[in-house]
Amino acid sequence: MINDIRVGALIASSSVKRGNKKTLVFIVFVLSLIFMNLVFLPSMIGGMTVLFTGFMQDYPYGDVVIEPTGDNTYINNADSVLKKVRAVEGVRAATKRLDVGASIDHKQNVVGVTVTGMLPTEEYEISQYPYIITDGDFLGELSRDEIIIGAMIAGTGFGSEIYDNLGEVKVGSLVDVTYSNGVKKTYKVKGIMEGTFELVDLNALVHYKEIEEVYGLEESKATSVVVRIDKQGTEEQIQDKIREAGVNEQVFTWADKSETLIKQAMQSMGAIDIMSKFVSLIVGAALILIIIYINILNKKKEIGILKAIGITPRSIVLSYAFLSTFYVSLGIIAGLALYLSLMLYFQANPVVFYETMEIRPVIDPMLLIQSIITMLTLSVIAGTLPAWSVSKESILKAIWGR
Amino acid sequence: MIVVKDLKRYYGSGETAVKALNGVSFEIKKGEFVAIMGASGSGKTTLLRILALLDDATAGEYTIRGLKVSSLPEAERSYYRLTQVGYVFQDYALINEMSAAENVYVLSMMEGKSKKESYKTALEALEKVGLKGKEDRIPDELSGGEKQRVAIARAIAKKPDIMFADEPCANLDTNNSKQVLDVFKDLNDNHGQTIVMVTHEHWHTEYVDRVITLEDGVLVSDEMMDESGEEK
Repeated sequence: MINDIRVGALIASSSVKRGNKKTLVFIVFVLSLIFMNLVFLPSMIGGMTVLFTGFMQDYPYGDVVIEPTGDNTYINNADSVLKKVRAVEGVRAATKRLDVGASIDHKQNVVGVTVTGMLPTEEYEISQYPYIITDGDFLGELSRDEIIIGAMIAGTGFGSEIYDNLGEVKVGSLVDVTYSNGVKKTYKVKGIMEGTFELVDLNALVHYKEIEEVYGLEESKATSVVVRIDKQGTEEQIQDKIREAGVNEQVFTWADKSETLIKQAMQSMGAIDIMSKFVSLIVGAALILIIIYINILNKKKEIGILKAIGITPRSIVLSYAFLSTFYVSLGIIAGLALYLSLMLYFQANPVVFYETMEIRPVIDPMLLIQSIITMLTLSVIAGTLPAWSVSKESILKAIWGR
Repeated sequence: MIVVKDLKRYYGSGETAVKALNGVSFEIKKGEFVAIMGASGSGKTTLLRILALLDDATAGEYTIRGLKVSSLPEAERSYYRLTQVGYVFQDYALINEMSAAENVYVLSMMEGKSKKESYKTALEALEKVGLKGKEDRIPDELSGGEKQRVAIARAIAKKPDIMFADEPCANLDTNNSKQVLDVFKDLNDNHGQTIVMVTHEHWHTEYVDRVITLEDGVLVSDEMMDESGEEK
């Protein structure tokens, strides 16, 4: 076996050293594209996932969210919960919210929405809502009878044409809001918000006190308590600490909530990701096999000669396994260089999705390692199988074709 | 040393079968330099390929030093080709991406010798065929005669029992042919190398001890030659 390896290595190294350099460059180029094909789309999908999960943190859920237990609609005494949460080490900020269902009408256009009652001054530390006002102003501490409308329902933002909208509502327009308990109230539009995210742009915001009054709530009720933390990645520890601090409501991390809420979207993307990886793998395997097979067919006579002079078929097969591993290794290196260049490019020039969503691809080291292992495994198979098949042919057929 | 009994090689079967060899028998002694001659299609190359274990006979028996090599399994035939048999091809059959030395020492490495030892053996073999100093050249940088001499060096480096040569001068001019035949003659005269060579050139018989002539797959004459290439 040692002799087979030594001879296989000698045959492979002389082939690399004195083989056609243009062919080598071409093979490496094609292999680098195969590698790119394996890693690029998953990176883009990873970027989309980061974008969506970022939305989850920046708007509805923060880093950790506390919700009522069981069938309860509200967290009772949310201020007490907030006091306990704010005392937890690692918590940067927390606020309470009241989400209710309502319909808004304006000039005979009616749209169903979720209206979130919030404490505006606290939201600056919690969410991006105060920073996505494209027209008008965000709510203030004294805002009463004022509302912030999402751009999609206002009829001004991207995507308005897809959803029912109020038909060009502007800052200063008056809209009627009918809450789920039947109470109807007129609000003046204070601002239009555009977060380029349906969960935001199809909603409306009012002051917390508005919802309290409309629903007659007392003793600081809330549908959720949204928490931001100091250090990303410590959500689960903070979740435990909040429970330990005596909060008996349900405590979720943003990931828990994202899983349920955007699970379907992620599953769809995950399915696309798996399919794309599978197709890339099949295409990659086929291409590597074709490249190496053509290379071997061109050297069929040489294989016959090697057999005729007494070189073992095992040495011959090993030489092609070495050769194809070498080609694929160079292909991976070139592919990595190409991939990282493209990553740098797309970090600086993100892909714009739905006109406003900027997707920056994510470099996933595990994906890269998996792809490298896959390519190397394929290379051994692609190098071994055709060489093994040719080495099994009779010497006369391999050398003289008969 | 070599005993061939009623060797047959048919291509196809039934009435349409081509009888490339149709019952050939002869013996070759150690140290002989034998030429196999005959017109094109007479079966001489087929015979040589069977003797060198590159092809199988349809029927008959073939032994080297009493060992019935014709019935050996492929792995043992491969080992036999590596260690006992040298084969010189008509078209040199060198590996184009290997230097002259690599073409020669790859076999020594296959036999288990170290790279250093193999390289030394290759240099000696190349020197023996007059190619000292050209060991690093690849086949494309050598003339036809030089390529054939590399092929001979490859065949003799492992010091085989028998060396087979299939029309080794077919692609060479007279001058290069003489150089190649001189190498064979030297190996035969001074090193006792047994050589079996297929040729269709009558002037080559000046170099050999014996001429076996085939016609339509049948041995028609087997004659000893004197130094002038005439029948004894």
